[in-house]
Amino acid sequence: MSADVVLAASEGGCHLFSGCGFPAPGAEIFIFDPMFSIGPFEVTKPALMAAVTALIVIAFFWAAFSKAKLVPGRIQALGEMGYLFVRDQIARPMVGKEGDKYVPYFMTLFFFIWMLNFMAFVPLIQLPVTSRVAFPALFALVSWVIYMTLTFKRNGLVGGFRNLAVPSGLPGWVYILLTPIELLSNIIIRPFTLTIRLFANMFAGHMLIAVFSIGAWYLVSPSIIGMASATASFTMAIVMTAFELIIQFLQAYIFTMLVASYIGQALEEAH
Amino acid sequence: MDKDTRPGAGSGGSNPGVTITSLILSGMIFYGGVGWLVDRWVGTERVFLPIGVVLGLVAALYLVYVRFGRDQ
Amino acid sequence: MSAILAAADAVTGSLGAVGYGLAAIGPGIGVGLIFGNGVQAMARQPEMTNVIRTNMFIGFALTEALALLGFVVPFVFP
Repeated sequence: MSADVVLAASEGGCHLFSGCGFPAPGAEIFIFDPMFSIGPFEVTKPALMAAVTALIVIAFFWAAFSKAKLVPGRIQALGEMGYLFVRDQIARPMVGKEGDKYVPYFMTLFFFIWMLNFMAFVPLIQLPVTSRVAFPALFALVSWVIYMTLTFKRNGLVGGFRNLAVPSGLPGWVYILLTPIELLSNIIIRPFTLTIRLFANMFAGHMLIAVFSIGAWYLVSPSIIGMASATASFTMAIVMTAFELIIQFLQAYIFTMLVASYIGQALEEAH
Repeated sequence: MDKDTRPGAGSGGSNPGVTITSLILSGMIFYGGVGWLVDRWVGTERVFLPIGVVLGLVAALYLVYVRFGRDQ
Repeated sequence: MSAILAAADAVTGSLGAVGYGLAAIGPGIGVGLIFGNGVQAMARQPEMTNVIRTNMFIGFALTEALALLGFVVPFVFP
């Protein structure tokens, strides 16, 4: 089953009281058949949307900053707003003065994730690309490599472990019990929670909108209770879409802020 | 701007909510894993695994108290 | 009535997921209470912010422990 098959089945005239059950959307609405092939690679819709989103983000910031003037034009003013937001709300509070070096990475992360999430709102596309777990996993993996490398480069090998593992102000023997917990938490659990937080939010939001939309179509039938609940379901679909607009921005912001705080912790002096 | 002037930042590592949750989870997973290995070594079936999970929970809560609960 | 009973028989799947969903209700309300009252206290007495924040995190950790225990138990007792 793929998304196209589910779409065809749900449009086939199956309504309330007409003898068929509710065609509930499961996880198969995220599986897509390949659209075309480039050489040996089959391109599916999420891959195509990721490439298109990357081109859009690159094109916007290229247009904003390539010929930067002292008195900004309109696109450059928008780009500067984006840059100042990332620098003043994410990089400087979390990392400190050295955060200015990492603002390009944070900007890439923030705007790319936000635009990928935002693809759920655009008509005819309607797929939050980050609801495929490979995308958040890749962002978390790259960020993990960055902050692990920074930890060991800034503090040396032993100091890196001390930064990651050892809390301060404990009696001696308790260290042996508590250091594995800190190590596991900092090295393994962090990329997992980064991935799962972004993925689960986008997956669940998209699934909710799909359930309410398919439910509204299914409930349309020549009966009072059918039409009333179809209206309610459609209203809920619109409300969930509006809610998802906020969640898309918020999840991108939280992801970038957490990566910034991990990098800040990697760069701080050993206590 | 200084570091950690955000209202959500507490003492000992910024963003305490995520840190606390991941500490508790990793405590339960690590000592649950130790309990599971002890189970395999002794040969019993799922006796030390829940004990390990609970002990890991206690250890993680103590670690949270050390990092966040003292007046620093 | 018989349709409801027949529908209830047809529910299959993971009981652990249902268990976690039920287990997340209490800690959800509890964490909301903790942070709500903590924020209110910080608004009333801003000079006590650090003390209040410290106690808030201790309370949050204890309450969250129950929710995470509900998450881990379906793996321990399948």
